[in-house]
Amino acid sequence: MKNKSKASKTSEERRESLSRLLQEQGLKIYSELDRGEFPKFSVPSRSVSNIVYDKKLRQYILGNTASIRSARNMSQLRSFTQLIWLAFFANKLVQEKKSSTLRDIYYSSQAFSIDFEDQPESDNIIVDLEAVLARPREDLHIFPEERSSVFGDLTIEYTVPGYEGKRTNLSDHPDGYLIGPSLSSAELVDTSAELVIAIEKGGLFTRFVEEKVDKKFKAIIVDTAGQAPRSTRYLLKRLHTEMGLPVVILTDGDVYGEHIAMVIKSGSANAAHLRELTVPDAKWLGVWATDIEKYKLPTIPMTESDIKRIYDLQKDPRYQEGIWKKELEVFLKIKRKAELEAFSKYGLTNITDKYLPEKLEIAKSL
Amino acid sequence: MSSNKESFNQISPSEFFYRNRDLAGFSNPTRSLYTAVREFVENALDACDQAGILPDVYLSIKAVDDEQADPKPYILTVKDNGPGIDSKHIPLAFGTVLYGSKFGLKQARGMFGLGATMAILYGQITTNKPVEVKSSTDGQSQDEYELLLDIQKNKPIIVKHKTKEVSKRGLSVSIYLEGDYSKAGAKIRDYVYQTSLITPYATITFEDPKGEKFHQTKIVKTMPLPPTIIRPHPHGIDVETIRRMMVDSHFQIPTVDNKMIEKVRKELGLKKKNLNYSEIMEKASKRWNGISRHVRVVIAVMSFLKMDFEKLSKIRIDDMDIANKKLVYWDFGESKSVSIDLDPESEYYRQLTNTIQGETLLSFLTKRFQRIGQATAVKFTEFANLKPEKRIGTMTNQELVKLSDSLQKFEDFLSPDPSCLAPLGEEPLKKGMEQFFKPDFLEVVQRGASAYSGFPFIVEMGIAYGGEIKSVGQTVYRFANRIPLLYDEGSDVVLKVVNEIDWTRYKVKNDAPLVIVSHICSTRIPYKTVGKENVADRPEIERELRLALQFLARKLATFMSKRGQAEMEKKRANLYSKYIPLVAQFCTELAGKKKEPDYKKMLKMEAMVEE
Repeated sequence: MKNKSKASKTSEERRESLSRLLQEQGLKIYSELDRGEFPKFSVPSRSVSNIVYDKKLRQYILGNTASIRSARNMSQLRSFTQLIWLAFFANKLVQEKKSSTLRDIYYSSQAFSIDFEDQPESDNIIVDLEAVLARPREDLHIFPEERSSVFGDLTIEYTVPGYEGKRTNLSDHPDGYLIGPSLSSAELVDTSAELVIAIEKGGLFTRFVEEKVDKKFKAIIVDTAGQAPRSTRYLLKRLHTEMGLPVVILTDGDVYGEHIAMVIKSGSANAAHLRELTVPDAKWLGVWATDIEKYKLPTIPMTESDIKRIYDLQKDPRYQEGIWKKELEVFLKIKRKAELEAFSKYGLTNITDKYLPEKLEIAKSL
Repeated sequence: MSSNKESFNQISPSEFFYRNRDLAGFSNPTRSLYTAVREFVENALDACDQAGILPDVYLSIKAVDDEQADPKPYILTVKDNGPGIDSKHIPLAFGTVLYGSKFGLKQARGMFGLGATMAILYGQITTNKPVEVKSSTDGQSQDEYELLLDIQKNKPIIVKHKTKEVSKRGLSVSIYLEGDYSKAGAKIRDYVYQTSLITPYATITFEDPKGEKFHQTKIVKTMPLPPTIIRPHPHGIDVETIRRMMVDSHFQIPTVDNKMIEKVRKELGLKKKNLNYSEIMEKASKRWNGISRHVRVVIAVMSFLKMDFEKLSKIRIDDMDIANKKLVYWDFGESKSVSIDLDPESEYYRQLTNTIQGETLLSFLTKRFQRIGQATAVKFTEFANLKPEKRIGTMTNQELVKLSDSLQKFEDFLSPDPSCLAPLGEEPLKKGMEQFFKPDFLEVVQRGASAYSGFPFIVEMGIAYGGEIKSVGQTVYRFANRIPLLYDEGSDVVLKVVNEIDWTRYKVKNDAPLVIVSHICSTRIPYKTVGKENVADRPEIERELRLALQFLARKLATFMSKRGQAEMEKKRANLYSKYIPLVAQFCTELAGKKKEPDYKKMLKMEAMVEE
């Protein structure tokens, strides 16, 4: 059994600091208005030229460029108002411990005569607020529709209204638990696990549960359902920092799989304004390009867009060394790819019985 | 003798036009109805213009039988309040072809007054009904005629003539003709509408066969100044025109026949007396200043021939060879050719040479052209490197070309005298457009007179934007000598100029509701085709049109940017008053305050700054 890391913030603390942050912004604008000045926000620029790779943090971050969004400027007044409304609305969500989806936000705005033209516009304002506050939208109780799952021996304590103090163990339900708002805001209490396995596909997630991978490998299993959503990455991050668990990742044997692993490890350019979503120590177990030959996996040929993607990623600073660089090169050489299910050729349990232990062994040396 | 003799028959003008009626726009019932309307309406307007009367023109087209399908007979009536036509001229004016009063050199709508007779002829051919003409020149008695044309003889046949008392002056013409109003209607309505636009000093009423009425009361009460007849402008005149002007300007040696001798005798006061040669010469030198040029030439010739009238009547002058100083005549009495020497010392020698060689270049320039005075003429001869005293009759072909080229190139001539033109004027154009379009913005310009090929022209243009103009993009109304041009606009020079302008430079969107009215006045409009519906792109005209449009577009741009600013300010105020209260509301809750910040003073301040 492991105790919570003392350095990590509890959900309550995070909530309070966010509230203070929101109130600070509110006070700033309030006093500007009271002085007869046009209020303004400083919004970090999210343009490509302002996204830089930070080697120390091992993730993409925003540079120093910020733009002023002023209520004086007619072309900005509307989006300024949208931004302050969103801060106001998020504050209410946080205070009342309610959650909402991106789509909810779009509709809620209409009750306040805030005219978002469409959901992309409101989504964009949400990202602006994330950047202003340097906090992910999940902290603001705003969640996307996409959800992924988690299974394993992990006890959590809910903080959502009506469930406060209630505990659940995430191995109680064999389909796994949705990584939703209540799970994201829950306190992580206890676990016997020693490892987190993130897996790209729901099918394999179910197989792993059936094969009792959680017990055999003392693992918490997370289904990322493709590219891991923010809430999933946030959970992985917390499992790593709060519970001290190493994170390993299993993906399809192709360039997209490799990048799914990379995003969990070091974030995406899209979320360069956020710093709490990465697990820099996470390890990619496979399927590597080299595994395809080694395990004689059935393959399918790469498409042109697969190959183009390899060339793109080769320019990314994170792919300049180690297995990341090497595997890209091998993919490019063999121009073939293999899915996780390919192991089924050797029996349904081949992947858990043979491949996983071998790769976990290798991972220790990575 | 051949029994198969080919016969050559002279045909009358009526016959000619009857056979070639397509040329005059009477090719089919649709076109014919439209053309007939135009001819009568334009005649009515021209008549009023020339008499200085504010026109009141009534046009009506009625079907003879409403039930019948087009094409069918219509009664076309045009009534004006003009000077009317003298009773004795009416049969000739309406019953013959080529009888007209418009053979001058000044701006007028129609050219020769042919069109109206063509319409009458067409009506007679298609319906076999007479034209009905009612005219009153004094506003008291009115002459009413019913006329038919005798096509072969080009003579009027008076079917009916009566006189009755009336209270109004003016002319009314009614014809029966085959037409197709269902097809021609749109064009005719456009024509009436646009004619009203360009004739804002006229009241125009139109009742169509369907009972619909168009009525436009005159918008202005001043008439444009009537045009006068003038000399050509030197710019753009060509060699052939100069050659013709020269032939006109120098005298031929008069034929010395009995008639001429009679004239000489009369001018010298010798009606009864028979003087001998020296007595005649003595008398002539005494009266020299009082006698005409022709007579002076005859006297000069007589001085060399040394003959009296009796002898003079028996010869024929064949040649006057100034270069060799010889005069050659045929003596009928002796039946031989006689050559005598001309004494250059004689005082009459100069008179002869002047006559034959024509006037000096200097005099030719100042007398035959407008806008050339003595000083300009001297300056020009220096520019052209021609001697001012050079006699135009002695100029070689090369010198003529040089003269013609120089006339075009010399830049110190004043603009052509526009007094032969009758532009509408900026004020009436503006008022007309205001009334017609009720726009947000309106500007008109009349360019200075310019010339192409020696013909003066003036471009007037107006631009209207917004307001009640609802069209998408620009509508261009083209006029030439106050006639709307409705057909063939694709190839017209006005359209070309309008299409070439880059509206974005003037802050005007391509779909902006815009009306452009273009009016070209000239003694001769350079039409591209015989249809007279589109103006050719003469560079001089194109340039004037472009400058006019650019001027107007700049004015429009100023308006647009002012309006843009005003709209922006209004928008800004609206935005602030919409959003700032929301911002205040949200930040108050966010900050956990009870009372909203005092933002209202900010909105007020902002409003004051904008004012």
